[in-house]
Amino acid sequence: MANLLNIGISGLAAAQVGLNTVGTNISNSNTDGYSLQVVQQAARLGTGVGHLTIGGGVDVTAVQRAYSQFLTSAVWSSNAGMQRATTFNSLTGTLNSTLSSSGNLQGALDDFYGAFSTVAGAPGSNPDRQALLGSAGSLTAVFNTLGQQLGVQQRQVNSQISGTVASINSIVGNIADLNQRIYQSRSAVGGVPNTLLDQRDGLVKTLSGYLGVTAVTESDGTMSVYTSTGQGLVSGSNAYPIASANNLYDTGRTDVFDVSGNDITGRLSGGSLGALLDYRSSVLDPIQNQLGQAALALAGSVNSQQAKGLDLNGQQGAPIFSVPTPVVLGATTNQGSATVAATIADVSQLTASDYVLGYDGSAWSLKTTAGQSVPLTTNTDGSLSAAGLTFTVTGTAQAGDSYQIQPTRYAAADIAVGMTDPAGVAAAAALTGKATGTNTGTGSIAAVSVTDAGNANLLGAATITFTAPGSYEITDSSGTVTGSYTAGQPISANGWSVTLAGAPATGDSFTVAANTNGLNDNSNALTAASLADTGVLAGGSISVVTAYANLTTQVGTAGNQAATTLTTQTALYNQATSSQQSLSGVNLDEEAAKLVNYQQSYQASAQVIAASQTIFASLITAIQAA
Amino acid sequence: MRVSTNWMFQQSVNTMLSQQAALAATQNQVSSGLRINVASDDPAGAGMVVNLKHILAANTQYSANINDANTRLSTEQSSLTSVTNVLNSVRSMAVQGINGTLAPSDRSDMATQLVQMRDQLVQLANTTDSNGDALFAGSSTTRVPFVKNADGTVSYGGNDTARMTAIGSGLQIYSGDAGSSVFMNVPAGNGSFVAGVGAGNTGTLVVGANSVSDTSAWASGEAASGGGYTITFAADGSWTADDASGNPVLDGVGAPVGGTYQGGGDISFNGMTITLSGTPAAGDTVSVQAGGTQDIFSTLNNMIALLQGNGSDTQLTNGFSRQMEALDQGLASVSKAEVAIGGRMNTLSQQQSTYSDLNVTYQSALADVQGADAYTAISNLSLQATALQASQQTFAQVKQLSLFNYIR
Repeated sequence: MANLLNIGISGLAAAQVGLNTVGTNISNSNTDGYSLQVVQQAARLGTGVGHLTIGGGVDVTAVQRAYSQFLTSAVWSSNAGMQRATTFNSLTGTLNSTLSSSGNLQGALDDFYGAFSTVAGAPGSNPDRQALLGSAGSLTAVFNTLGQQLGVQQRQVNSQISGTVASINSIVGNIADLNQRIYQSRSAVGGVPNTLLDQRDGLVKTLSGYLGVTAVTESDGTMSVYTSTGQGLVSGSNAYPIASANNLYDTGRTDVFDVSGNDITGRLSGGSLGALLDYRSSVLDPIQNQLGQAALALAGSVNSQQAKGLDLNGQQGAPIFSVPTPVVLGATTNQGSATVAATIADVSQLTASDYVLGYDGSAWSLKTTAGQSVPLTTNTDGSLSAAGLTFTVTGTAQAGDSYQIQPTRYAAADIAVGMTDPAGVAAAAALTGKATGTNTGTGSIAAVSVTDAGNANLLGAATITFTAPGSYEITDSSGTVTGSYTAGQPISANGWSVTLAGAPATGDSFTVAANTNGLNDNSNALTAASLADTGVLAGGSISVVTAYANLTTQVGTAGNQAATTLTTQTALYNQATSSQQSLSGVNLDEEAAKLVNYQQSYQASAQVIAASQTIFASLITAIQAA
Repeated sequence: MRVSTNWMFQQSVNTMLSQQAALAATQNQVSSGLRINVASDDPAGAGMVVNLKHILAANTQYSANINDANTRLSTEQSSLTSVTNVLNSVRSMAVQGINGTLAPSDRSDMATQLVQMRDQLVQLANTTDSNGDALFAGSSTTRVPFVKNADGTVSYGGNDTARMTAIGSGLQIYSGDAGSSVFMNVPAGNGSFVAGVGAGNTGTLVVGANSVSDTSAWASGEAASGGGYTITFAADGSWTADDASGNPVLDGVGAPVGGTYQGGGDISFNGMTITLSGTPAAGDTVSVQAGGTQDIFSTLNNMIALLQGNGSDTQLTNGFSRQMEALDQGLASVSKAEVAIGGRMNTLSQQQSTYSDLNVTYQSALADVQGADAYTAISNLSLQATALQASQQTFAQVKQLSLFNYIR
């Protein structure tokens, strides 16, 4: 009889465990990271009675999580992908709104070039010249706003990188703690600490949202966590935190370093940290540089056109725009005393890359920050040239020293209008050429152009005299030079170039002099206005407006791709979560059924105890009656 | 397949959220009328919008330039019309002068009128445009390019550069003419040479109309001797011709040219035909000078000097004949400028209408690229609203389904 009582009690206990588990499942149905718990029960071994074996009730062997390492890992990796896409999408979204809301660069550019056209219509008109400087100011304001907004985004990205690294380190520490507790719990109690495991899985999932990771469960129950390139973050109860610190060159830029101080910025991917680093290097830097490149192209082309003309005071045109010189940043590890200065020599050769200039102890070499080698040419004065830039090294460098050069980064934010006097706009051609009245040949001046505005003798008067139809001499204040003339070929000296039409006769002469009696000329303003459609960048194939159109397309493409990627990654994450939840999630209808089931088991087991009591009572009554 | 209750709710919520986002995007399209609000809406389209707007801005600027050029050229044209009128009045006086029989008082009246006309011409040549810039100063900043000196001569302070206006990418047109080309660099004589009687002539010989009758013979003669000739008459009217170096001019077979002049006849050699009248005295000469220029003001000044010079009727007739030639060259120069202006204004109006057409084309291209199609957008809006409504109703229905509702 005692046996039946025990069997009843075991059933009662098993039903109670079942009811408690169902209760826990129901109450945790909305808990993030909770895995459905399932009661495992087995029939208790019976006792042998003669040749029979009678069952001995039921044992609860385990309360197990409904869990699949495979499905959970899939959720982690898809979460890393989705969080990366979410962060990337929000960053490119901000960039797109910045571009559309920070003023209309195309409109400002067209207004500016149009103002040159208006000046060409009335070169002597002061209001028109003032309007030109005004539109130059509006144009630089649009460039500045865009450049500053991009700068703001750089700083935001940097601070988000630091914040994310801090969150990652805190989670990594917590995982190491949980590893410790899980290990202790297993060795002390021997059971499986379901709640701790769920907590640890939840932390790994959160971590995967910050950074792409792989996690491996070891035989002792602890979990090792690595970055996607194999960098260890957690091993047993040890955490290996990463750190955010300044870039080797740029103190305004935050990079990520491992526990031993190596820069691992380029080796992290996935999660929001991966998105931040990837966005900064593949979208923000190029866009910021290209915008700067456009600003430099504008300033370079307009300023050099200015220098080819005369202003209203008869002076060679001064620059309208001022732009910052390329930024040169020495590595903090440099040992030598060398300083490097960089200047822009040729805007058309300029690229949107940043460069690293390194010294190996005997020679300098140049690479893009992406690692592509760029050939350097040494000039006669010892300076180095590459990619439209000239580098001047002073002091002594040590082997291993390096410098980062950012030629275009801050040009858009810092471009300014340097001209204040409207008379300074050089609308007139710098030079005028004239055939002498007594000439007997049919030669006449077809065109005079400025080839080198920097020539000191440019505006000095010079006379070209033909000593024979095929040879000439040029006389200026510094003497006489001779040359031979081929019809149709230009004659050049002092930074100018003259093309003749017709055939000059022996003794004919032509004068080239500053256009001081032609200050109401508009030819230089007409050329400046035509810069709107003149190729300036990429060897002279891309105009400033086209560069901006390309930039717009590029920003749009980045945003569009990010949105598409986000859709895909969200679908993948939903798919993975759906699979994982179909195994580990709580279904309330199922729990309702189980609740009824265990409730009935409980009632039935109680009935078994009651039966046992009744049987026992019957026996007692029988004995008393006997 | 098992479905987690929590996930089921989450999925329904996600669906509704994404439907709401799509609805908001469509709503934005409808309310802004734009398909591209940020570049990522259509990256290639956004780049195209920049390019199209740039082309439209350039066309607007070129149209404004064309209007400016038109104003300038119209002003120039009306001043030149006035100049032509003045020159025609001068010409009718010159016709009187050629007649030679003028009383001293007539001469003095004519001189006074011519002085006024010369001053009027100077004033017309100094016409300014709406910005106060002199129209005929070339590219010089001077506002008074034609300055009358104390002795009545007029000097030009401008330069030879005519103003250009950009009316298209790489397309420039002259929106003015330098004063030197209109008023100053007028070819002398008949445009090729000046034939005039010698200063010391004592006869009544008058050089009338003269011209180049054989261009190639004239050109080869000019190339050989520079085009300067002196024709000398003998008492019997026979004449010989020497070139600038004093050598006799030879004809095609190597014999010296020459002949006998009879009253009212022509003299021809080396491609020239010179009509003469009157009678030469022995030793009288006619000189021929090639090339050279004579500005319009000098022509008037020469006429004034003739009238004030107390010369003989023959001198007056000869002098006015020369100035008549010069006047016709001046009129031709002004009329050439007027014709050129007409041609340019024609080009301007053609170009202007091209830009009007292009503007329509590019505006519609721009609307196609960046504008939202209202019909599509609104039908999308109602479709998406219906879908969202359906999701909400489904959610409301599904949430009522629970086994717990039936366990009592």
